[in-house]
Amino acid sequence: MFALAFTTLRHRKAAFAGAFVALFCAAALVTACGMLMDTGLRGKVAPERYAGAPVVVAGDPQSHFLKDKGEGEFKKKSKPNTARAWIPESTAATLRSVPGVRSVVTEVTVPVMLRGAGAVDGHGWESAGLTPFTLKAGRAPAAGGEIVVDAGSPHRIGAKVNALTSFGSGTYRVVGVTAQRLDHQNVVFFATAEARRLASAHPGQITAVGVWPASAEKAVRDALHGTKVSVQSGTDRGRVEFVGSDSGRVKLISMGAALGGTSLIVAVLAVVGTFGLAVQQRERELALLRAVAATPRQLRRMIGREALLVGFAATVPGAVAGLFLGNAVHGAFADLDAIPANLPLVVGPFAPIVAVAVTTTAAWLAARISARRVARLRPVEALGEAALAPARAPWPRLAAGAVALAGGVVLTFVLRSIHTEAGSGPLTPVTALLFAAGVALLGPVLARAALTLTGLPLRAGGGVAGLADANLRTGARRFAAVLAPLTLMIALSSTLLFAETTVKGAARTQAQTGNVADYVLGPAVPSPAAESVRRVPGVEAVTEVLHTRVRGVNSPYSAQGVTPAGLSRTMDLDVTSGTLDGFGQGTMAVREGLGMKVGDSRSFAMGDGTPVTMRVIAVYRRGLGFGDLTLPHALVAAHVDVPMGTVLVSAPGVDRAALDRATATFPGLRVQERATAPEKSGGSAVNYLSLGLIVAFAAISMVNTLAMAVAGRVRELALLRLAGATRRQVLRMLRLETLSVVLVATVLGTVIALVTLNAFSTGMTGSGTPHVPPLAYAGVIAGAGLLALLATALPARAALRNAPAETIGARD
Amino acid sequence: MSEAVELTAVSKVYGKGRSAVAALREVTVTLPKGGFTAVMGPSGSGKSTFLHCAAGLDTPTSGSVRLGGTDLSGMNETKLTELRRDRVGFVFQAFNLVPSLTVEQNVTLPLRLSRTRTDKALLDETLRRVGLGERAGHRPAELSGGQQQRVAIARALITRPEVVFGDEPTGALDTVTARDVLTLLRETVDTLGQTVVMVTHDPVAASYADTVLFLADGRIVDSVQRPDAADVAERMTRLGAYV
Repeated sequence: MFALAFTTLRHRKAAFAGAFVALFCAAALVTACGMLMDTGLRGKVAPERYAGAPVVVAGDPQSHFLKDKGEGEFKKKSKPNTARAWIPESTAATLRSVPGVRSVVTEVTVPVMLRGAGAVDGHGWESAGLTPFTLKAGRAPAAGGEIVVDAGSPHRIGAKVNALTSFGSGTYRVVGVTAQRLDHQNVVFFATAEARRLASAHPGQITAVGVWPASAEKAVRDALHGTKVSVQSGTDRGRVEFVGSDSGRVKLISMGAALGGTSLIVAVLAVVGTFGLAVQQRERELALLRAVAATPRQLRRMIGREALLVGFAATVPGAVAGLFLGNAVHGAFADLDAIPANLPLVVGPFAPIVAVAVTTTAAWLAARISARRVARLRPVEALGEAALAPARAPWPRLAAGAVALAGGVVLTFVLRSIHTEAGSGPLTPVTALLFAAGVALLGPVLARAALTLTGLPLRAGGGVAGLADANLRTGARRFAAVLAPLTLMIALSSTLLFAETTVKGAARTQAQTGNVADYVLGPAVPSPAAESVRRVPGVEAVTEVLHTRVRGVNSPYSAQGVTPAGLSRTMDLDVTSGTLDGFGQGTMAVREGLGMKVGDSRSFAMGDGTPVTMRVIAVYRRGLGFGDLTLPHALVAAHVDVPMGTVLVSAPGVDRAALDRATATFPGLRVQERATAPEKSGGSAVNYLSLGLIVAFAAISMVNTLAMAVAGRVRELALLRLAGATRRQVLRMLRLETLSVVLVATVLGTVIALVTLNAFSTGMTGSGTPHVPPLAYAGVIAGAGLLALLATALPARAALRNAPAETIGARD
Repeated sequence: MSEAVELTAVSKVYGKGRSAVAALREVTVTLPKGGFTAVMGPSGSGKSTFLHCAAGLDTPTSGSVRLGGTDLSGMNETKLTELRRDRVGFVFQAFNLVPSLTVEQNVTLPLRLSRTRTDKALLDETLRRVGLGERAGHRPAELSGGQQQRVAIARALITRPEVVFGDEPTGALDTVTARDVLTLLRETVDTLGQTVVMVTHDPVAASYADTVLFLADGRIVDSVQRPDAADVAERMTRLGAYV
């Protein structure tokens, strides 16, 4: 049977080309996503600054939770932190007395905005040995006003450089330059005592201790057992050096899974479509096999084996291409700062092997689904010249279609009640996909009904238009095969694109209407600068704002830390219950939809893993614009790496120049009128990139289905030419047919997108109206239409190039 | 047992209720072993349905069909397929061959599907008999219409079936080629003792048979032994076929 399948494949290359392309792309996408996930699971960020210390003792890079599973059972959960956890300085003393430890080096890390170099990490010269950093020129910093810059710095010895720290502004003189520079961070060294002064927001605490020699690791672990510090060696040192790397890895896993899962579903739909069409075009041959001697089972097996052969032929090179695609996607994610740039892509055998296995299985399944029809094919149909009677859609297919639609409806109700992006993010495309799958399954019925409607103007047109209409109605099944991928493409791209614009639009509106301040200071404002602005006459309120992410047991939250005094003058959160009047230590405000109400107490971990319990005093509406939680500034400042953020100033009637003067001693700060303050842009670019990949894939499968459908009609087109139709008339007929299908797909796809987006928008923004930029929508439809027309016209032109008599004469 | 095919009170109704159409009405007939039977009738007389029911391609609504002593009623599609594979050969009007397979592969297809080893001598003998010994490696697209029908006949014969059914086997051929194909069928009856049942609307084709059955409106209305073309044509005219 494999031999038979193989001969058929060799002979009918064109019919399987569509499936080949779809599978090739699917394997490539799944491989790429698999590599991202693999990187998330196994990727390691190599240490740079800690490279010279064999053992590094630092704060725990994870928060730990006990999840109540009910019935007195608890499950331990660990989630990566987004900020560095500090450790007691006494740890160093403990380590010095551990037997086998030869030397110990302590380190503090403070954020510094260095004029001319941007954001750098500041350390005391005491920790130079961790890397180790050595001096290329000059000397070590000794006095408080002296610094050493790294080899990558634009500053030279003797230069006076201004630096902003959370303590304010200071001018330092460069006294030395190191021989080294690090790939993914810029550092500046202060005198040890100055560094400790700048770190005094964490009294008695340091960021890390380097321990020598490597052989002391076990003793160190034993000595610190039971404390909250973590001991790292080897590449794991990178985890505590680059605190964001763990959450970056988690993000890669979830992004890879979402992207890979979606593309796999799209792949299955695409392959079912192309195989269905290929089988349909060979119906007579298959019926002959049935009549001559093949049992339904044999036929199903033969088609399954054809799929396996095509699957292997397509997915193996596809997986290889996926290795390059994965590399490109990883690079793009890193460029967009979605993942740490220093998290190298893991290139292992798993991703391509899994991709080949999964996509080939999908192909086999898709083929078996298409083969169901054939197995029921009556052998009688092979006899005689008569065209095969269009089979009525079998009820299992209709039932499956109904189930898919019902599933979609259920998911829209679920979506309505989901208020977090983490939940609705992956669910939204799944909802649209379910609807699209339902449409694909009910395709023959839908196509017949819909094409009757679109046919009305065509019929009135007569001539070529009438011919197009007749083709559409008699070939409803063929057009259903084309309708499905077109609908899928329009539905999926609209849903993904406009889910993004809906959230972004709502967030922007909320942020704009909620920001009632007159001026905005940025980008990284130390508290003393805010204090100096407060003293300007006429300034009514100054709100310092920090952004962070905190983590509850079940969900991460975005949070803003704001100074409570005069908050209502600068920020309008649209409080719906409770009040912000008593806002301060131990209290917080939350956005609606998180399942918290005034009076509730909630525990969660701050960015650095510190557990806190806060009482809800107010619930507000503008969570998308400002954050899920609003916490006291002092609390957030103590648990983020960079406690310098933006500042909102309410100062009606105060001249901007007055504020400029007040902040003049803090070089690098900008005062802007609210209207011109830059918006912060989130991870949109990353979402658009994933969206682009999936839509490109859907487009490819749409194009190849259309091209296949035309290729299967070569004889019919030749017949029309012989009957007197000009080349232009044939092309016009095809164009009209395609446009009709595009029209139906547009309506179906738009309805699917709107229903999904309505639910998404209700859940996320509280309003059922999604934000759909008309130009973008027009672009999606025009793009799909144009692609469809091209995919029809190109193979048709190629087919019409041959002499029609020859095409007709050539035996099938 | 001298009957190759035996139909008893076979009826076939398509559709249900008001739109029901009876294609065969209570047909009872036996076709003798080693005979060449032609089934004729005007369009819509039920001759194709007759062939399909007799060959196990379709199941009658009522009545029973016995093929070489085996009752076909109650067999499922797989059993019917296996029966067709082993005991029935088919020659259709067109689309007889799988385009991707060579002549030899097409001929041995039933054996391949039933996982039977091909008897090389039988294959050569069969191909020689149909005059395609030289063309075993060609693909259908490289053959003329008459040659394609010969391949189909070879395929029908390769399993040494009890009956070879032909559905307008010469319908798509010119007169000269058709005569060759009919002569070939006649030979298989005469030299191999093969039973052949053929549906046709061509009186000349029917004249190659031993017996001609005339179907009209789902019933057998007439039969002729040792027919000649003129006689058959005349009877067909009376049935209204050429009005």
